Amino acid sequence: MPILRYIGRRVLFVIPQLFGIILVSFFLVKLIPGDPAVMMLGPTASTQSIAELRDKLGLSKPLITQFGRYLHDVARGDLGTSWQTTRPVTEDLFQRFPATLELITLGLLVALAIGFPLGVAAARRRRGPIRKFADYYGLLAGALPDFWLALVLIYVFYTALGWIPAPLGRIDMAVVPPPTVTGSLVIDSLIAGNLAALASSLGHLLLPVLTLGLINAGPILKMTQSTVERTLSSDFIRYAEMCGLPRRVVLRQAVRAALPSVLTIVSVLYGFLIGGAVLVEIVFSWGGAGQYAVQGVLNADVNPVLGFVVFSAVLSLVIYLVVDLLYFALDPRMRG
Amino acid sequence: MSGEDLILDVADLWVAFPSYRAAPVHALKGVDLQIAPGAMIGLVGESGSGKTTLARAIMGLVPPPGVVERGRVLFAGKDLRRMDAEARRHLLGREIAMVIPNPRAELNPVIPVGRQIANVVFHHLGVSRKEATGVALDMLRAVRIPDPERRLNAYPHELSGGMAQRVVIAIALACSPKLVISDDATSGLDVTVQAQVLDLLRSMVQEKGAATLFITRDVAITAHFCTRIAVIYAGQLVEMADTRAFFARPAHPYSIMLLAAFSHNPALRARWTRAAGEIADAAGEGCAFAQRCVRRQPRCLTDIPTLRAIAPGHLARCHYPVEERQ
Repeated sequence: MPILRYIGRRVLFVIPQLFGIILVSFFLVKLIPGDPAVMMLGPTASTQSIAELRDKLGLSKPLITQFGRYLHDVARGDLGTSWQTTRPVTEDLFQRFPATLELITLGLLVALAIGFPLGVAAARRRRGPIRKFADYYGLLAGALPDFWLALVLIYVFYTALGWIPAPLGRIDMAVVPPPTVTGSLVIDSLIAGNLAALASSLGHLLLPVLTLGLINAGPILKMTQSTVERTLSSDFIRYAEMCGLPRRVVLRQAVRAALPSVLTIVSVLYGFLIGGAVLVEIVFSWGGAGQYAVQGVLNADVNPVLGFVVFSAVLSLVIYLVVDLLYFALDPRMRG
Repeated sequence: MSGEDLILDVADLWVAFPSYRAAPVHALKGVDLQIAPGAMIGLVGESGSGKTTLARAIMGLVPPPGVVERGRVLFAGKDLRRMDAEARRHLLGREIAMVIPNPRAELNPVIPVGRQIANVVFHHLGVSRKEATGVALDMLRAVRIPDPERRLNAYPHELSGGMAQRVVIAIALACSPKLVISDDATSGLDVTVQAQVLDLLRSMVQEKGAATLFITRDVAITAHFCTRIAVIYAGQLVEMADTRAFFARPAHPYSIMLLAAFSHNPALRARWTRAAGEIADAAGEGCAFAQRCVRRQPRCLTDIPTLRAIAPGHLARCHYPVEERQ
């Protein structure tokens, strides 16, 4: 089975890839000025207590020793402790990553639902209102910052119209959240059969998902449009026309041929949004992984930052593996 | 022969490609071409002479921004240019079929070839998917592809060039068309494979009783293949004759140049070809070929020649057609 061998090889490569990623990010994070010991003890701490804490944390040892110790811990699945939350980073991340993933997965689905059909429709005609709309939309989505759009949406739908719950977190304070199974509140509410929690979490998801969807539909639209346009003038589509196949069949073949490119842009966006959705997370007080990492950077809390990097790296590698498998399914030429 | 009996009757066909801030470039300048049922017409010309544009214009698929400026294309008495696009689409693939030159690029790379044949049958003949697949299998057998049951599920990139060309022939003939247009269909193949595929194409169209417009750069191929030969140069037919007459007494200097280019006689080639340095850039007012013509006279640079009969059934667009045998 060539596919199984391919997966095996890819998984094997994950180890050196992870090592490289940890190596680079460890030293980059250490370059950031700021002493965790000072931050932890506060401005009134004595020099002596700071030195003692540095010794305890291993910060007085050479960097390379610190790196070796960190690697050793990571290999055992221990990403250290965050001094801000005083909890193991792994635990924190397992709590926060599902929040981010739920947000960006739904956001990208909405982006696909907007960008893909619009891109196909725009590719079919070089002129006309649809094409104009698609052009302006692509420009606007590329130019607008997502947090700004989030604020506008909050103003319109919460402040002015009052249609949605307050943009604070993932679920109403008053609603009892379902027991955690997957970490996605929507799925967990469904599993628990908790309709109140489901309604509340969907209400809270609405605006951030719409924000990410509207903004990220831009690149998906552009990629779909240019690829479908190119395939529509390709040799095999011209031949399909010469064979007198119906227009919808020809269009379907062109769209089908454009799928790998759309898949590529979606996977790139997904990897990017794991950390890139942080501004939207902050606006909606989402408590996601990006927010956690930024808090870590701002407070010289090294372990959450590195833990986030490791988590996102593993996730990205998984995503790219899945995408490569989808390429296999989509294009018989890859199977050879 | 009256227009009613012809399979294809092209009259005064002009195709223009607009160019930016300049006069449009004419790819076809008043082409007349008649094809009787079952006839095999060879259309010979160098690249850029308008061969492919003619094929596409007949099908109503001139690549944008090209436009058919004027002229008439009658297919079995029906005016293709006045027909709406949907009605014309129903003719393409079913009554007018195309054999293309580069099948591994032009077949859909993600659909098994059996499906591609069956698709055309399914959409044109109104049969079930299952019957269409049956026809596809029969066609793969008819074009003598070994192990057709297995090849039904093969993708284009898994086939050799000759095999893919056979698939294209199978697609073209699956609906028993009345006219097959073969556009440089074998140019991408090895010489030995080329001969096999040509023989196959000929026997298949004869079996189905289709007329053929056989477009090629290789004049030698037409000798074995066609009943009548037309030579196109710079968007105009310059000579047209029955195959025997054409090879015995080619009348237009360009035809002779083409024939000489394929001959193994260097002296003949040299006699009919102007050296590159002697060829002027701009085409003048007169004959389009005048700049490259070894027999050019003063009149050729001022007067445009018309396509006229120099013998019964033998037309040439030349003020001074060649009369002696070569």
